[in-house]
Amino acid sequence: MMLQLIKLELTKTMRSTSFAKSVLVGIFLGFLAIILLSYLLILGIFLKEIIEKGFNQTDAYEFLSANLVYFFLTEFMYRYFTQQLPVIELERFLHLPIKKSRIINFLLLRSFISPLTLIAVLIFTPFAFKEIMPRFGDAAGWSWLMCVLLTSWSLHWVMLWFKQKFEDSFTGLAVIFIVLLLGVGSNYYGWFNIGELVKPIFDWSLTSVIPIVFMVLVFALLYRLAYTYYRNNAYLEDLSKEENVRFANSSFGILNRFGLAGELANLEWKLIIRHKKSRTYLMLAGFFLLYGLIFYNNPGFQSEEGFSHMFIFVGTFITSIFMLQYGQMFLSWNSANFDFFLKTRGGVEALVKGKYMLFVLTSAISFIASVPYVYFGWDILLIHICTFLFNMGVVIHLVIYFSLWKPKPMDLNKGAMFNYEGVGIAQFLMMLPIFLGPYAVYFPFALLINQYAGLAALAIAGLIGIVASPYLSSLPVKKILKNRYEISSAFRQEI
Amino acid sequence: MIQIQNLRKQYKAAVVLDVASLEIPKAECFGLVGNNGAGKTTLFRIILDLVRATSGSVVIDGEDVSKSEDWKSKVGAYLDEHMLLAYLTADEYFETLRKIYSISVEDLALHLAKFDELFNGEIRGKKKYLRDLSKGNIKKVGVAAAMMGNPQVVMLDEPFENLDPSSQNRLKKLILQEKEHAQITFLISSHDLNHVTEICDRIVLLEKGMIVKDLNEKSSMIAELNEYFGT
Repeated sequence: MMLQLIKLELTKTMRSTSFAKSVLVGIFLGFLAIILLSYLLILGIFLKEIIEKGFNQTDAYEFLSANLVYFFLTEFMYRYFTQQLPVIELERFLHLPIKKSRIINFLLLRSFISPLTLIAVLIFTPFAFKEIMPRFGDAAGWSWLMCVLLTSWSLHWVMLWFKQKFEDSFTGLAVIFIVLLLGVGSNYYGWFNIGELVKPIFDWSLTSVIPIVFMVLVFALLYRLAYTYYRNNAYLEDLSKEENVRFANSSFGILNRFGLAGELANLEWKLIIRHKKSRTYLMLAGFFLLYGLIFYNNPGFQSEEGFSHMFIFVGTFITSIFMLQYGQMFLSWNSANFDFFLKTRGGVEALVKGKYMLFVLTSAISFIASVPYVYFGWDILLIHICTFLFNMGVVIHLVIYFSLWKPKPMDLNKGAMFNYEGVGIAQFLMMLPIFLGPYAVYFPFALLINQYAGLAALAIAGLIGIVASPYLSSLPVKKILKNRYEISSAFRQEI
Repeated sequence: MIQIQNLRKQYKAAVVLDVASLEIPKAECFGLVGNNGAGKTTLFRIILDLVRATSGSVVIDGEDVSKSEDWKSKVGAYLDEHMLLAYLTADEYFETLRKIYSISVEDLALHLAKFDELFNGEIRGKKKYLRDLSKGNIKKVGVAAAMMGNPQVVMLDEPFENLDPSSQNRLKKLILQEKEHAQITFLISSHDLNHVTEICDRIVLLEKGMIVKDLNEKSSMIAELNEYFGT
């Protein structure tokens, strides 16, 4: 029976439309995953040296054990954002005469086979071999390693339970926020030291088997927790909950003044806040506002005169990350109801105009929210103004135009992380103009005259784009109308 | 109202639609029947310019549908969920359409009042997204939306499918009433021979993309169709 389920799973992967359509994307991503994992392995191999040289620590073990808790907090975060829930699979099995317990065990175990499981293994196994075994003996090394891995894997089950129960709820956000605060608070600002709290457990594992037995129990208990939760809720109405209507009357009042296009922009806004995928992008845009904190007060990017060239890039991201991410899949967002816009008189034109408005509005909000960065110097504000203008005048048109190259349908109710629906080669190629565009304008002037001339060039190019935008924004409309049959049929997934 | 000339749709070698000539006059209730895969939905999609015809033309009120957009304000249609905005509630959806068609709040209320009986208290004032409604209720919303904004032509694909028997009767009454009062041209495809022969003055039977029967005689319609379908 298990074998049958595994076989089904494989067939599903092989035959899914996205698999056939984007083998190339798949290969690319697989390649990327291997590279990332091998980086982790390299990190693991040199972890001892990195700690000793990079952090000037004499005792690599002491240092690592004291900071392990931060690794687990980070793990909690990346698991929250990337780990996928096995729920969707459940729907397809429930009506079959297979025992529920079997299905759930299968789905839970299947979810365990994932690159996330390997991360802790790759980082800490080499360290255990290089540092702990020579110093404390083989048994101690194995015992410590098992303890660490079991903790990491226990998080897997916690997350399956936590995400299913609290995702998209206020409690979920609050917990995430607390985890962030714990990490940042104790590490950055030194309010308290949670590292010291956890360290004794791992120290103890060097000399005793009790921590291992304990961790095995925890691991088993948490598996049981996830299992029981899914088992008890293995009903369609429980797992794929109907959503309550959100933000029923929320809209940008200002958009009402722009006729049909404004109306569609408001619709798009509803679409964004009512779908999981777009909501994640919105949340990320919020996080990216903090991006500047990493760079602007980083001594590595301070220069005697002017500012680091890198800041142009940071400014581009901070002021328009939402437009950059959301705009990449410009039409795919409307793939489920594209026929509606085709059928409506002037619908496509208004849809595109509405999206332009929304992009300008969200970018303007990001820009205004980023003004406090002026604390790090007036240059920062200047950079933000110039990159904002450039984004609104030039990058926006590039993103939209590129995104219309063979748009793909996607399901907006799936999460955004590691979800490559709607992503095609165009979305990868598009990164080039986004990254290089600002620098292509900035560098010639910055290097030949000075940095402020470079900024001025960005602003002027942006202003020209803004003045020309009535014409530039009519290009994508023409392109969509010209390809309307292909797009519409691709969105209906015909042929 | 609608003229179709030499319309063909071909996917590689397979011809899915081949209509030499078809004319639908104003205020006619036009029924389209045929087995699965006969090309009913494809024909509707081509009329709405959602699918490109391989050759031939569709002209609505003197306009070639693939060349202009003005006809869109005269045509209402509900083919499938792709024409709805599934992430809105029914009320929000009607309100959105109201703005798009620029009709007044009062006119919208009047229009929806006609559907009160059909909606049966299940649609309006509910805090539920369209995607979470049952199939029958989704269909009702789509039909009400298609008839909005005083269209001259209304196209419905399988309007009776998924509706309960009493809703089917109510919808039938509604269509007959609208046809009478507003002189709307209805294009309806259906597998339900009883309903479609009851409301339609003319029925065209498609087989493998071609018109095989064009029936105008109400009295003999049902018998001829039953004979063809072997029912």
